[in-house]
Amino acid sequence: MGIVLARIDDRFIHGQVTVGWSQKLRPHRIVLSNDEIAADPWQSRVYRSSVPPRIAVEILSAESTVAALAAGPPGERVILLAGAPLDMHDLLARGLPLAEVNVGGMHWVKGKEEMLPYVYVNRTDLDVFRAFLGRGVRLSARPVPGARETEIDLPLIAAVEERL
Amino acid sequence: MISGLVVTHGALGEELVRVVTLVLGPVENLGALSNRGLGARDLTQAIRGWIAAEPQQGAGGILLFIDDFGGSCANAAQLAVQAGPAAGILTGVNLAMVLDFLTWRDSLSVAELSRRLVEKGRQAIALLGPGAGA
Repeated sequence: MGIVLARIDDRFIHGQVTVGWSQKLRPHRIVLSNDEIAADPWQSRVYRSSVPPRIAVEILSAESTVAALAAGPPGERVILLAGAPLDMHDLLARGLPLAEVNVGGMHWVKGKEEMLPYVYVNRTDLDVFRAFLGRGVRLSARPVPGARETEIDLPLIAAVEERL
Repeated sequence: MISGLVVTHGALGEELVRVVTLVLGPVENLGALSNRGLGARDLTQAIRGWIAAEPQQGAGGILLFIDDFGGSCANAAQLAVQAGPAAGILTGVNLAMVLDFLTWRDSLSVAELSRRLVEKGRQAIALLGPGAGA
């Protein structure tokens, strides 16, 4: 297993991933980890159809994700996608080794406050960000490879929390 | 009449619809949505909401025009109409497709019009200028 990008993105598989990151990172496989999509054949089919044929794709429940990644061939390059911080943290808690997590897109819904123009958060998200940092996982926000990267650190988390 | 909705990144769709009205004047049952600031779930809901708010609510059928295949708009369009009215989804929207859509939407079915628009959209892509003869 070689995770070249572990990304939190509520649009899952779309142009920023299949074009932006995939042109830079040349993944062999994209793994979308989400219980709801994995259990829904139609949603699975839609997201599968968005992946270019040269890249393999797997849509897995959280429970299956960690084992499937561990079983991947050596040298394989994988982009791992989860829809929310809690989902990615769940994989970490299940034993998936992660050194860094990319925050690529968390769009506005009611009750969320802006951290960056493409990252909106509530208290749960901030708590989970802190939990990542507490486990030594680096958090960096960046939508696409060419864009500016923003380190999500404790001061930034605290500054957003004041506005919630 | 078949209703049309252009779903795109940024203001592409809004501008396409605006430019169409410059050519044809005001048109009914044609709208645009942007994915700006919306996650997959909310964009899907926005498409369903637009269809529900249509005077005909898609009774004559719906055509969804998408800018890119494999993007968030194409994903949301497919999720939105899974169990909905007779709907076609076309990617790679261009001006020629929307103009032809408005010309033929009263006389063809969703399936017939979809096939016609794919052809019209492709025909609108041409190589002009010095490189054309090479």
